Amino acid sequence: MEQALRKIHRKVCLLGDFAVGKTSLVRRFVYNRFADKYVSTIGVKVNRKTVMIASGSELVELTMMLWDLAGSEEFDRMRRSYLRGAAGAIWVCDLTRPATLDSLQIYADILFAATPGAQLVLAANKCDLAEDVRILPSQLEAIADNYGLPFVVTSAKTGDQVEGLFQRLGKMLVLPQGGAE
Amino acid sequence: MPKSSERAEPTVGAGDGRAARRETQLEALRAILFDGYRERVSALESKLDEVEHGLTDEEALVATVTPIVGDAIRRRIQDAREEMIEALYPIIGQLVVRAVSEAIRDLARKIDAQVRTSYSPQVLLWRLRARIGGASSGEVALRQALPFQVEQVFLIHRETGLLLQHVAAEDGASSDSDLISSMLTAIRDFAEDAFGRGEEADLDAVEYGERRILIEAGEHAYMAVVVDGVEPPGFRSEMRQRLMDIGSAHAPLLRDYDGDAAHLASAEPALRSLMVSQRPAGLSTMQKRLLVVVAGSLFACVILSCFAGRWVWGALRGQATPTVVPIIAEATASATPTHTPTLTATALPTPTSTIAPSPTPRPLAGVMTGHVWVRSQPSSSAPLLGIIIERGEPVTILAAYGPWGQIEWAPEGEAKVVGWVPMQWVGTVEPIPERIVTPEVAP
Repeated sequence: MEQALRKIHRKVCLLGDFAVGKTSLVRRFVYNRFADKYVSTIGVKVNRKTVMIASGSELVELTMMLWDLAGSEEFDRMRRSYLRGAAGAIWVCDLTRPATLDSLQIYADILFAATPGAQLVLAANKCDLAEDVRILPSQLEAIADNYGLPFVVTSAKTGDQVEGLFQRLGKMLVLPQGGAE
Repeated sequence: MPKSSERAEPTVGAGDGRAARRETQLEALRAILFDGYRERVSALESKLDEVEHGLTDEEALVATVTPIVGDAIRRRIQDAREEMIEALYPIIGQLVVRAVSEAIRDLARKIDAQVRTSYSPQVLLWRLRARIGGASSGEVALRQALPFQVEQVFLIHRETGLLLQHVAAEDGASSDSDLISSMLTAIRDFAEDAFGRGEEADLDAVEYGERRILIEAGEHAYMAVVVDGVEPPGFRSEMRQRLMDIGSAHAPLLRDYDGDAAHLASAEPALRSLMVSQRPAGLSTMQKRLLVVVAGSLFACVILSCFAGRWVWGALRGQATPTVVPIIAEATASATPTHTPTLTATALPTPTSTIAPSPTPRPLAGVMTGHVWVRSQPSSSAPLLGIIIERGEPVTILAAYGPWGQIEWAPEGEAKVVGWVPMQWVGTVEPIPERIVTPEVAP
């Protein structure tokens, strides 16, 4: 039996401190149309990632419009407006820099203030630098439990789990229970 | 035991019967006492359901509250007009400023178009086309003066930047329209944050060379129209109208947009009509034929006018070939050898350079009866001296050669002028005497 196909679009933001690998993550598997310079000029660049999600008898073609926001030390007023209407967000931290975990509370607060009900997933990036990793899996688990969000350990360099990250977020955006497994 | 048991059953049965009767009586009593209350409770429950429904269903709540709020506002405006004006000024003032700015821009465009076309030779053709096509000449002139083409129309969700609908000209379709709509939204947000200064203002146009993106924002969606050239007056209003139509037709869907653009497919014709309406209407075959006939007639009229004008001009300049009367010059000692009339167009004898009019000792007085160019020789093809003798000016006729007369004119305070004019424009009180008529030219 053929599944009915439904096409939907969702806005997704990539959050995280400077140089944690947000742009590298989206560059790895998504459709790039605009140059990366936009991130530093107007503070954002939009990319597109399409994933297929099975939802019951229905097959959903989910197109995520990925707003890659420029990372900086603190959230300013300008970037808050970029978060409006986001259905989900990927918060990226750098496994080799424990300090990049500290800003999660700020990012989460501002995201949920701008769009209550947005889905958030944590991407712990740069797992390919095994010798330099300074964040332990137990720390990630504790943070994920504390905030009630899933986490995926990724490597933009090798592509490890990058596709899985978007699949995970896609399920959270499409399935009624937020893709909980 | 069985007996007692058998006896006991009727006893229990009797008890049950009494209890049942008691219950029936109590029920009757309850009915007498509480039926009224039960009905009221039931009525209150249904009313409570209605109220709950009215509060939870957003549409129903809006429908309930709207007339009340409307009445309250109306009454408040009546009671405290000044106060309301002050309260609403920040909103209405901006709307008025925006409308006035737009009207002024439209006016500027009209004036610009008028200036551009006022002295164009194409104006007549445009007016003719306008008459045939049923449009005003101003509209046609404007269309000609300001080339304008709609290339793409985007309908974009205001909050998320997601593309709702997109239509494009045949060569303008792009697979990146969703990315463009998101980036455009980011640019709008950037402009608002960077330059808004807290005001309720929107980016309403982006220019790139001849290409412009016109932006019109509604409550939940905005429209971006990529155009080439300058939009004609009223185009913005048309955009706004389309956006309002779509906004009111799909208000609940836009308010809680679920990302499925298929629900907004019905908005596409409205966007496409925006493109179609801006294409200049061509002429029908009948109109084209009529235009050709009219143009042909105009051309014939112009040719005839040219011929008629040439004939009239020739007549006025005395070009009708005069009969050169063979005349005999009286050679005198004061003959002027510089006058060298050359008549080559006729078979008549040609004067040579040796022939010169002979002024007489007693010149003949005359008056100019028209404004006449003075020539160096007695011929319409002879060079002009660059002088016009006006009607009424007194002249002295020195000599006559056929229909031409050599005159001397002495304007006040200036040097005397000697030259040749047609005698038909020189009035005399006496016939031209034979003595001043130039001699027949010797071969």
